[in-house]
Amino acid sequence: MTLTLALPTGRIFEETSALLQSRGVSLPPSVRAGRRLRIEAHPFTLVLAKDRDVPTYVEHGVADAGIVGVDVLSESRPDVFEPLDLGIGACRMVLARPASRPAGFFRDLSVVRVATKYPAVTTRFFHGRGIPVEVIPLAGSVELAPVLGLADCIVDLVQTGGTLAANGLEIDEVLFESTARLIVNRACFRLKTEALRGLVRRLEGDRAS
Amino acid sequence: MRHRSLLEIPSGVQCFLGDEARLRREIERVAVEVFRGWSYEEIVLPLFDFDDVFTRGGGGSPADGVYRFIGRDGEVMALRADFTALVAKVVVSRLSRRELPLRLLYGGEVLRYQPPRAGRREELFQVGLELLGAGGVQADVEVILVAREALSKLGIDDAVFTLGHVGFALDLLAGVEDPEKRVAALEALRRRDRDGVRRIVGNASLDLTELSGGAEVLERARDAAGSGEALARLESIVSELGTLGLGGQIRLDLSEVRDFDYYTGLVFEIHAQGSGLELGGGGRYDSLLGRFGREMPAVGFYLSLDRVSELLVKRGLSSPERESSLAGSLNDALAARTRGERVRLVKP
Repeated sequence: MTLTLALPTGRIFEETSALLQSRGVSLPPSVRAGRRLRIEAHPFTLVLAKDRDVPTYVEHGVADAGIVGVDVLSESRPDVFEPLDLGIGACRMVLARPASRPAGFFRDLSVVRVATKYPAVTTRFFHGRGIPVEVIPLAGSVELAPVLGLADCIVDLVQTGGTLAANGLEIDEVLFESTARLIVNRACFRLKTEALRGLVRRLEGDRAS
Repeated sequence: MRHRSLLEIPSGVQCFLGDEARLRREIERVAVEVFRGWSYEEIVLPLFDFDDVFTRGGGGSPADGVYRFIGRDGEVMALRADFTALVAKVVVSRLSRRELPLRLLYGGEVLRYQPPRAGRREELFQVGLELLGAGGVQADVEVILVAREALSKLGIDDAVFTLGHVGFALDLLAGVEDPEKRVAALEALRRRDRDGVRRIVGNASLDLTELSGGAEVLERARDAAGSGEALARLESIVSELGTLGLGGQIRLDLSEVRDFDYYTGLVFEIHAQGSGLELGGGGRYDSLLGRFGREMPAVGFYLSLDRVSELLVKRGLSSPERESSLAGSLNDALAARTRGERVRLVKP
């Protein structure tokens, strides 16, 4: 039985395709060309999607399974199964403040203005601690917001911290660590159990216990 | 105040037209006929009730989505968020003198606020039934048989029933005492997050994907967890269903806990090829009636009219409307109706 697998074309694309190659799923060159969005790669049908669309495809069942980071899952909280932590694409979701301000300075503000690509994660984090927050949603270059005075601090995904430092920011707190997960449609988990178990075995490879 | 067009709709409202409306009526008719064939008796339940019927009574996370309003006397009211809690209330109060077991069926909409989500509408149309006062394996099997027949009469012969038992999950979490960790563990279980469950439960060899599949799962589960009662019960249910010829439609998934906290035993979900969303589901809830004042074992299930009709449309199984014969006069029309024809007056 063929499984349809949704792959994220964003941040973790390189690591994802490397993982698949190493597990014997060879991606045809057309994947790299990035024009065709639906590709046969026996025994899978691959669908290339924006990172944030991967959970949507899987939740609706047009893809049986997908690979996506915890950062995306935490933001959209899709109703899917997450049977496997793939361990790739490791990074941290952090709260960062201007290096010139003391740690935790935002607690003294009546409302913290926070720029982020992750409004739901940000709101949950601040409200969970009883701190009123004004979320300023941005689609990119979030680090710029404190520099321009648009926000007091930011919540963003950080791999090395280089961009933060370059913009005079430093980490105030780590919200959570993020790695890539295999996610699976709830119905697929029931109807294609054997094929799915094969996929899990294949992906965990030498990580198998 | 912002001027709003009379045509604007609030989020969540739906309207079904044409073939779809007809198909939905038909699905309800077929399902109810099958339920009645098994001697289930229809019960028409109120569209709203006091809020605590659904929260304190019904319990579980879906209570978060309850649509609430303040009644005229200042009491907090709620739109029907779940049928089962309402059935429990009626059984304990109005039907207390009836002989057990009781077989009840119902149909209609339940309303729950939901953030936009795949297939999660705010107004959910369901038909369902409850078998009350029967605690045995036979009762569990009966409701699955009824569900299978209803789907089969609707043209869905390949429905897959995925069975679990909440006792298995509870045994698994028996060693986790910190309530916060328990919630996290249940959530990880719900997501089939194998590594997450392993971390919390402290059992590194536990593999949730191995606990989903055919009958061999029971064997593996015994090795992994050695959970006695829940597994024994599931085994009897599965073997009974096998004897009755349903073996091919039965799967197991021991991580299944479902969304309501009132389930105590068997739980199941219904799926079929072509639909990424569950067509229905149910289970045993032996402690729910006790919350309303009378302990009684019970088991039931629902079918989602929304999902079943989507699947039937996808499979091309919605039959077209009958041809109308044309009538030139009211007299002709009456005559055609007397013959039982579908008639349309040409110039009304």
